[in-house]
This record gives sequence, C-alpha cells and structure tokens, in this order.
Amino acid sequence: MFDLINPSRIFYWIEKLINFINSIFFILLIIALTFALVLSPPDYLQGDSVRIMYVHVPSAWIGLASFTVIALLSMLSFIFKIKNLNIITKSIAPIGLLFTCLAIITGSIWGKPTWGTWWAWDARITSMLVLSIFYVLFILAHKLIEKEDKAIKVSNIIAVIGLINIPVIRYSVDWWNTLHQPSSIKIDGTTSIHPSMLMPLMLMLLVLLLYCALILLMKYKTEIIRIKKKNIKRI
Amino acid sequence: MIQNFISMNGYGFFVWLSFAITFLACGVVYYKTYRTLKKYEKDFAKELSQLSEAEKKLVLEKSKVASQFLASYNKSI
Repeated sequence: MFDLINPSRIFYWIEKLINFINSIFFILLIIALTFALVLSPPDYLQGDSVRIMYVHVPSAWIGLASFTVIALLSMLSFIFKIKNLNIITKSIAPIGLLFTCLAIITGSIWGKPTWGTWWAWDARITSMLVLSIFYVLFILAHKLIEKEDKAIKVSNIIAVIGLINIPVIRYSVDWWNTLHQPSSIKIDGTTSIHPSMLMPLMLMLLVLLLYCALILLMKYKTEIIRIKKKNIKRI
Repeated sequence: MIQNFISMNGYGFFVWLSFAITFLACGVVYYKTYRTLKKYEKDFAKELSQLSEAEKKLVLEKSKVASQFLASYNKSI
C-alpha cells in the first residue's frame, strides 16, 4: 500500500494533474464568482455582507482540514517511519497557514458590519489564532532546525499537540458564549443554509480546493527535486 | 445596476476587500511557488547536464524520479 505514496510513482502523475487543474481552474473560478457575487441572494438580516461567507467559510474549513491531515500524517510518520509523509506535511503547511490567516482576516472584515468590531477575543476567533501559531511553529521547525531528522521530530510533535486545538475550534461556539454564530453546516451533512447560498459556497470550496491541490503538487515537486539534487552527488 | 453591484447596498467595501485580499494572497503564493519550482527545475536540469555520460547513466538508472524529471523537462523546453 505504501508503494502508492512512493515519490517516483507520485512524480509521474504530478505534471498531468497540474495541467488538468490548470485547464479547468479559471472556468470554475468564473462560475463560482458569478454565483457568489451576482446570482446568490442577499441575507434577510446581514444583507450583501453575507457574500463574505463565500471566501471566509471555505478558508476556515481548509485551514482546519489541512492541520488535521498534517497531524494524522505526522502520527503515521511516527509509527511507520515513512519519509515521504514528511515531505507531504511540509508541503501542506504553508497552504494551511495561508487559509487560516485568510479566515481570520475575512472574518475580521465580516465582523465589522455584523458585530460592529474588527476583533474580539472570542473563543472561535482566539482558537483560530492559536491554530495559525501552530502552523507558524510547524513551518519554523523545518526552517530553523538544520538537522533534518530533528526538524521532522519537532514538527511532528508540534502537529500532534496542535491537533488538540481542532475540536476546541470546532466546538468553541457550543461550549462558550461567543459572538461567532453556531455552525450552519454539520459534519453529518445537515444544513440550515438555503440551497441558493449553499451552491455558491460549495463552488467556492471546490475552486479553493483545486487551488490548494495545485500549490501542494508544485510544492511537493519542488521538495522532491531539492532532495534529488542533494542526493545526486551521493550517487 | 452596476452602481448597485459595486456598492452592494452599502457593504461593498467589506465584500470587495475580503475577495481582493483572498485572491491577492492566493495569487502571490501561486507566483512564489511557481517561481521556486521553476528555479529548482532549472538548477537540477543544469546539474544533470553537467554530469559525464557515465555518471548521468548511473543517476538515471538509480533514480526513477530523475529520469522522469529529465523526460518531462526536455519535453517542456
């Protein structure tokens, strides 16, 4: 099974996948933006400010999902000692950080017309900020620790500790009284969002996921080339 | 109608700012990632081309990634 995540096997598909994503990305982006900015109706309470949801919510989901994947792969790497998993987690981390920061920033912009303030030390917002700190620590561990094995160990520990924060973020709106509204879409698939708003939300999520895949593939390829370049002299 | 679309009933500043920041940040990250990848590809190809024929043969035999890389890189240039 682990042969499937062999760099030489993945490397073969990277170029094909990058070309495929590039060929459909802009068409999907235009469709998603048309739905998000033109076709979807304004909210009866929040008016047109609700359109911020179409970038804020997918960003937050991607930020959370990326860290969960990093933590799970780090655990697998601990157990099975598969080096390739560390290359994948290292490639995902900047994407996760980008989208966590975007969720915080767009949330802050959405907060001004909705709550009347740019920032509040609210449980959801603060726990998202903590997540971004974990991302920074994970990336810094790879950048600042020179010995690769030690860097991998430290970053894996950071990822596993940071995993505790994920359920805190998820349930913060239920556990504490927060300014942030409760989840409108549950993990079991039930939703209180009208289909006219759900459709653009899912389209924007798809577009941003494709973007993530594109960046991940390019970063992964860069990492593989960097390692092979280092190994060339050894061969 | 266009005026309404831009002003978003008074929320235009917040909506457009959110979308602009998101796409600008994504654009910058894409550009930087792409540039870094191309730089590494170029350096790696240069290093491979500087090897002697025997060394190159050995590298390509031992590393599937290197041979796949060279094949796709030669196709792209």
